[in-house]
Amino acid sequence: MTAFTAGVRTATAALALLLTPLLMTACTAPAPPRGETSTAAGTVCAPPQGAPGKESATTIDVIEQAYSCILGNYHSGATLDARSLLAAGFAALTQELNRNGRDLPEAAAPALNGDRKADWAAFETVYRKITDQVPDLRDKLAVATLEAIVAALDHHASWAHDVQQPPDYYDGDGYGLGLEANVNASQADGNLDAAVPPLFVTSVQGGAAQAAGLRPGDVIESINGSAPFIDHKATPAIAALYPQYPQARPVRLRLLRQGSGRRWSVTLKPGLYQRDLAALQVVRSKLLDDDIAYVRVTGFVPDSADRILRAISRLRQGRTLSGVVLDLRGASSSGGGSTEATRLLSAFAHGKVTAYHCTADDTCQSLRTDDTVVLLGLPLVVLTDRGCASACEHFASAVKDLRAGLLVGTRTAGMISGPAQPYLLADNTILSLPDKHHLGPNREVVDQIGVPPDHHVPLTPADAAAGHDPALAKALTLLHK
Amino acid sequence: MRHLLGVAAGLALLAASACSAPTPPRAAAVSPTPAGPATLPAPTGPHPVGTTVLYLKDTSRPDPWNLDAKARELKVTLWYPAKQRDGQRAPYMTPKESELLLRGTGIASAPYDTLSKTRTNAIKDAEPAGKTLPLVVLSPGFTKPMSTLTSLAEDLAGRGYVVAGIDHTYESYATTFPDGRIAECLACDSNSDPGFGAGLVQGRAADVSFVLDQLPSKWDGSSRIDRSRIAMAGQSIGGSSAMATMLEDPRVRAGIDIDGTAYARIPKSGFSRPFMFLGSAQHISGGSAPTWDRDWRLLTGWKRWIVLSGTEHQSFTDTPLLADALGITPTAGVLPAARAAELTRTYVAAFLDQHLKSQRQSLLDKPSSRYPEAKFCPATCAPS
Repeated sequence: MTAFTAGVRTATAALALLLTPLLMTACTAPAPPRGETSTAAGTVCAPPQGAPGKESATTIDVIEQAYSCILGNYHSGATLDARSLLAAGFAALTQELNRNGRDLPEAAAPALNGDRKADWAAFETVYRKITDQVPDLRDKLAVATLEAIVAALDHHASWAHDVQQPPDYYDGDGYGLGLEANVNASQADGNLDAAVPPLFVTSVQGGAAQAAGLRPGDVIESINGSAPFIDHKATPAIAALYPQYPQARPVRLRLLRQGSGRRWSVTLKPGLYQRDLAALQVVRSKLLDDDIAYVRVTGFVPDSADRILRAISRLRQGRTLSGVVLDLRGASSSGGGSTEATRLLSAFAHGKVTAYHCTADDTCQSLRTDDTVVLLGLPLVVLTDRGCASACEHFASAVKDLRAGLLVGTRTAGMISGPAQPYLLADNTILSLPDKHHLGPNREVVDQIGVPPDHHVPLTPADAAAGHDPALAKALTLLHK
Repeated sequence: MRHLLGVAAGLALLAASACSAPTPPRAAAVSPTPAGPATLPAPTGPHPVGTTVLYLKDTSRPDPWNLDAKARELKVTLWYPAKQRDGQRAPYMTPKESELLLRGTGIASAPYDTLSKTRTNAIKDAEPAGKTLPLVVLSPGFTKPMSTLTSLAEDLAGRGYVVAGIDHTYESYATTFPDGRIAECLACDSNSDPGFGAGLVQGRAADVSFVLDQLPSKWDGSSRIDRSRIAMAGQSIGGSSAMATMLEDPRVRAGIDIDGTAYARIPKSGFSRPFMFLGSAQHISGGSAPTWDRDWRLLTGWKRWIVLSGTEHQSFTDTPLLADALGITPTAGVLPAARAAELTRTYVAAFLDQHLKSQRQSLLDKPSSRYPEAKFCPATCAPS
């Protein structure tokens, strides 16, 4: 399961997968009355009221609903040229037809004149004409079309569909090969440009990877026979490291263990695997060197700022601390993001703007520190990497711009467009649309670019193999100076 | 995640408790004047009921939630058949516990001490009666004190069971210890973490085993217990904890998960001791969180899956019985509190009578005209 790797786009589906059981844990409230969640037919779209019901087939009506939902709610929905969405959808439709060996003479794009309603009508007419001839492909074509329409938006818009739980899933289980590499799941899903060779295993979490004896530091030289990097540029082959249920095709890896020079191949079958429950806790803390509060955070979930601050004050009891290390590597956001980022920052700086959320016409709302949060008055080092996404980058950019501490590690993900709003579609899938874009305290764009750390300390395969954490070592050195 | 978690909270006010955001309840309109204190329905069995409280300390393991607590402390409330019918009724909860529960749950429609005035039926510290009594462990839902299952516990004691209800410390809004310390809900900090439910039920299993270990030495009446006849039931995550406990502790012979999403991992080889799922419509077969479907296939012994139509998550607890006193208008379409309590008591007792007292219960074999609400799953309760 990729849920706590970074990135909104991949995380969305997995997040929903995790949420479903959690909804039951915590709230255990009954589902809303029948009918309430499924009346969204047509063009209206609204935030989901509770856990979505069972997914039904995506239809042209659902695509229409999503189209209207985007034009009405997406941050530039009012101004964008809707023809670009329909063209992207239509292109994907024809490609899917062709992939199935069923291309049709009628599958030519309709004329679109820029009138949103009329263009939709023209699109729908041709769409129906096509799908009526290939009824067996109807569902597939609808999915391909809507995926392409959403992909034509910025990369924070997402459509979580086909969210299925493996029937044997238990709370806390992971799904996949059971490994994490230095190019994480969200990078592999669409942010490959930032990946740097070599590709290597950073952690073995269970499942097939564990059974095959993989270890951190093992260099992945090929995936299903393809090179992960060509001319230092990452290839889409890397995505095969992170299969999502129900993908279950075995993945063949050629590996190199640098220490011994051993080269070998393994075939890993994706599946459910048990994970260490203690390691799944979103906030964990310990004392390092008797005077550093080290807090590891794997996600900005509701209340995480207070949990982090409580952990620090607990470690501070009865001793004088020299500083705080916040290890935010791999800390994606799972909602509640900017609130938590701002609250956490407020323990390190007061009277500041931590970020701006701006609409398409550049009306910006400043997110100010909550000056009722007690200042810790401790030196701070934040560990970052490409897995630090969304709210994590909000926090990291604010720490850097406001000089509230030092960043050590590698550049953050560059996956922070702004707050996103989920909308329930009539097939019980969720369309998530950013309605504002995010700027750092210096009004800089962080999305796509990431936050560069003050001290660039990348992890090497040798470090991973030896269990060395050079970024943490650097952090401790800085705090003890 | 906040909005996603928050919105599910609609129907029952108390159900909203563990959610991160206090969403205003949709249907639970607040009536202007709360009624007087609630009185729990009388137990139906032949025996008077006594109750007492034990405080146990497990020094063999640290507390799972309070990192500064080197031992796990537990409050256990016992209900049992008593010799006398007269005496001082046991308090339902303290005014402070009532306040913490209502505040935690977001209920402000009645004075915060309201629940402490609830009238119970059990006589405080009454002398126990009977011998070779079967024992039932009860485990409440997340954030709920054990007292929220008092109606069920008193009824079982009246029918001749010793009931050991556990307040799982730091998993409830309030647990008071004899020195006046009040443990609040530390576990509420992390309840959205992945694996939270799986970890919590493992901890509860350890709690229950420790209580079973300690009972003989810590309660004078424990010689009246037949330790070969022990079962466990719980509501919500307490129900999932019943399975988690049985997987670890063979002393527990039979179990009931009352409307709880199942978190405990049953081995692929299956589980053969008697087990019953008893739930509301959210746990019909083929629902959106199909943990019961998953586990049903792994139950290889006596098993039942009964859904009571017209119930919701809290119907199996005291919550509906307290609604008037709290000034909460019940949700439309949900069974009246008295009926929900009757159904819960009846089906739980039927299961226990069959498996701990070897009394065959036809109620568990087929639909009953007296209780048409009970649907037998998965055969006859598919989503409509």
